[in-house]
Amino acid sequence: MTLRARFLFLCVFCLSIGLAGQEPQDHGTTGDYGGEGDMTEVHMSCDGHAAEYDPAGVILHHIADANEFHLFGDFTIPLPVILYAPDHGFTVGFSNMFHHGQEAVDGYVMNHGRINRISGAPDELLEGHHHVECIRHEVFTSEEGKTADIYSARIDGEEYLLDAPSVGDGGLLGGGITSFYDFSITKNVFTMLLSAFLLILLWGAVAAKYKKNEGRAPSGIQSLMEPFFVFLRDEISIPMIGEKHYERFQPFIMTIFFFVLFCNLFGLIPIFPGSSNVTGNIGVTMALAVISAVVAYVHGNAHFWKHTLWMPGVPTAVKPLLTVVEVLGLVIKPFSLMVRLFANITAGHIIILSLISLIFIFGQNGESLVGAGAGAVVSIAFTMFMNCIELLVAFVQAFIFAILSASYIGAAVEDAHHHDELGHHGEEKVAEGGAMGGAVTGMHTPAN
Amino acid sequence: MSTLFLVDFNVLKPDLGLIFWTLVIFLLLYAILAKLAWGPIQRALSKRDSEIQSSLDKAAEARAEMQAQSDENQRLLIETREERTRIITEAERQSKEMIAAARDEARAAAQKVAADAKRDIDNMRKAAMVDLKKEVGTMAIEIAEKILQKDLKSDANQEAFVKALVSDLN
Repeated sequence: MTLRARFLFLCVFCLSIGLAGQEPQDHGTTGDYGGEGDMTEVHMSCDGHAAEYDPAGVILHHIADANEFHLFGDFTIPLPVILYAPDHGFTVGFSNMFHHGQEAVDGYVMNHGRINRISGAPDELLEGHHHVECIRHEVFTSEEGKTADIYSARIDGEEYLLDAPSVGDGGLLGGGITSFYDFSITKNVFTMLLSAFLLILLWGAVAAKYKKNEGRAPSGIQSLMEPFFVFLRDEISIPMIGEKHYERFQPFIMTIFFFVLFCNLFGLIPIFPGSSNVTGNIGVTMALAVISAVVAYVHGNAHFWKHTLWMPGVPTAVKPLLTVVEVLGLVIKPFSLMVRLFANITAGHIIILSLISLIFIFGQNGESLVGAGAGAVVSIAFTMFMNCIELLVAFVQAFIFAILSASYIGAAVEDAHHHDELGHHGEEKVAEGGAMGGAVTGMHTPAN
Repeated sequence: MSTLFLVDFNVLKPDLGLIFWTLVIFLLLYAILAKLAWGPIQRALSKRDSEIQSSLDKAAEARAEMQAQSDENQRLLIETREERTRIITEAERQSKEMIAAARDEARAAAQKVAADAKRDIDNMRKAAMVDLKKEVGTMAIEIAEKILQKDLKSDANQEAFVKALVSDLN
């Protein structure tokens, strides 16, 4: 690009911001509900779409899991739905049976891509198909200033509250066990299946090459993938777990690295096969972290458990204190794994979506074309940069997840006699990994 | 920003269905890949590693063997050279000895031959002297006889007669 073209872009950019600023701001102030202790209606789909662009809502909607792949407009790719309500049994089908929220099936309603269930409804509504007139979104603000989103569906003129699927947060985050469980193949599950399928194809082909090229030099895809295997073996498994035990855990480290990596990479693709925020969903990282922890603790030897439960070599008075710390550590280690991956990926996606939202904010929701153009120039440049960072993060986080899993396993299986030497080595490595993760997290921390 | 509440932060709520599927998919993936890929690759890699190691070891061994062989050859060469020198020296010594012995023998034989010849000559000379003496005696007797037989009439005759006899003698 020549200097003149750059200067021109800068002029257009500055001018458009100026113009955008001068546009009359006639859209009013909604959402002025804080601290009043009542319901505020935000969005009523019966009356068409809300006029104002709501970036936070859009972003949260896009990083959330969904029961269908939304491509554009009303066009979606349906996904299988498996629902279970203790008082009703299983409901199985495809997500297009809900007609984008206009049809209630067995009391289930599609609410912005997620399936909800109507509660407090008469029994005949919990069977068969019923037409949904609209889904209302209200924000309830309690007297202490706490807020909660409340959705309700209007069927035959009556409004019924909607229950979200059960989540495993124990009610801490406003979720908890509700009237039904959602075991559907959601976007995230679909992407995980796709990742798993591709991994099997890829490594199956590599393994076949090993059989074919036995006794000969590696070739083709085998040469491409072998460095990954050898790198993970020489940089993670052997230093973290030790020469003696690493062979048993190398398959696990490989699987977790590539599963996380593929899910991360699919999360970066903005259209159909990707577009799901798999590793940026705490359910996924929780399951993976728990698997890592279980693998490590199940293989923990007597030496490990002795050091965890009754630390030798310290005064007896201090021992119970250390036991508490160590037992807490058993939980904190997988917890940190879970949060690190989740936060890094989600933060990256939020930044990208925020940058994309700039286009709509500058464009004042379609009113200012110049503003939108300027927003596009800025946001495309920044989004490209962020995508590069995210690509890096996808690899780095997969690596960190694998190396930390390996270090927990290494701590659990290490032998008593060379405890000090290996222990320090492991700690150094982990500290290094943590620093990398920390740096990336710091870079990613969203301003909200 | 109306809807930004932690409670609506959907991804923070661990969805039970998602946890279930993550566990199922990951464990299945692990089982399949361990059987299909990681095991065979690990075995193939460790086999290759050990093969490369053993090839390197073998090469080093072969090199050492070759070195040893060449040392041995060198040693043999030197030994052979020494042997050759020794043999040649020996041969030279022997030939010299033989020549000397032959010369001595020849000299001795020649001396013997000469001595024999001398002795024969002496013997023959002695025999010849004896014969000569005997002949001279006989001739003297014959001459005396003839002288006696011829009448020594004159002195001139006598003298001519003696002269004839003497010339006969010669």
